[in-house]
Amino acid sequence: MASKKILLVDDSCTARLVNRMIFSQKSNYELISAVDGKEAVERARQDKPDLILMDIMMPRMTGLEACRAIKQDKTTSGIPVILLTTRGEESYVQEGYASGCSDYLTKPVNDAELLDLLRAYLGE
Amino acid sequence: MISTGDGNRTMRKSTIEENLSNKNGPLSTQELRVRTQQLSLREQLERNHFLLERLYAASAGLIQALNDGDVHTAIGEILGNLIGCEEAALFHYNPENRRFALAWSVGMSDETLQQFSKGTGMMWRTVGEGLTQFRDRQNESHLQPCEQNLTASVILKSSREVVGVILLFGLLPQKSGFEWVDYQILKFLETYGAVTIQLQSLRKNAVTP
Repeated sequence: MASKKILLVDDSCTARLVNRMIFSQKSNYELISAVDGKEAVERARQDKPDLILMDIMMPRMTGLEACRAIKQDKTTSGIPVILLTTRGEESYVQEGYASGCSDYLTKPVNDAELLDLLRAYLGE
Repeated sequence: MISTGDGNRTMRKSTIEENLSNKNGPLSTQELRVRTQQLSLREQLERNHFLLERLYAASAGLIQALNDGDVHTAIGEILGNLIGCEEAALFHYNPENRRFALAWSVGMSDETLQQFSKGTGMMWRTVGEGLTQFRDRQNESHLQPCEQNLTASVILKSSREVVGVILLFGLLPQKSGFEWVDYQILKFLETYGAVTIQLQSLRKNAVTP
């Protein structure tokens, strides 16, 4: 069976690297990446990932804008989007859900919590 | 689900429960002691692994910045993504004229940066002692009013040469304070942040005589 594909979107190479290490060592998910919201929307259309894990604060197009765009496009609207951000306050969380995201994780990321959440959506 | 990061909780609760339970009935004291020891050792290994992953990411970020980016921004990414601090400033220090110069900042007002640009008590103690200073370990009476929101003043020192300081102000709301992993990453930045800044500076001077 083909492994599930996750699109990781973050403008920080440090964040991308940490997540790549977590996935490569502790899961069988295939990981593809994008560096901003605009690229994320394009890759979501093109690569049809099983899940999108996306930072909010990014250049060109924020994670919230990208999430809205992905949810408005019929070809990508069914893809679960998990927003990954440094801001955990209630107002930020509400804004995240209003954009159509399925879940919300705060940085710094905890390996086990991230993997548990992904498994809840994708299975092992 | 809203999840908050916690570098110390690397072992999942379910794993602990699985290891401490026994399908054939209650564990004997001896079995319980052995399993508890196993869990403790496993947790040590996982904690160390968690740290090494983050140190590797920090190191890779600095090296990549040398090749195609800005070292200060890379340090900012380490602070934001690995430690959880998005209010910070980096000052270069010139030991010859004993002056600080702002090199980079994030999430700070101009007014606050101005207050720190001439150096504060914690900053002078940092460069004077060559050691990182933490706000919660300072004598309250020695703190200046502008230092009330300062969390740490991190020394940037290559060999014995003080290159500058990183000031960390508020941590993200989901962080109640520094954790063990954070202290190790700051330790890493003390030396390798300084070395990378020096190297980038030398490269810039070489291409623009």
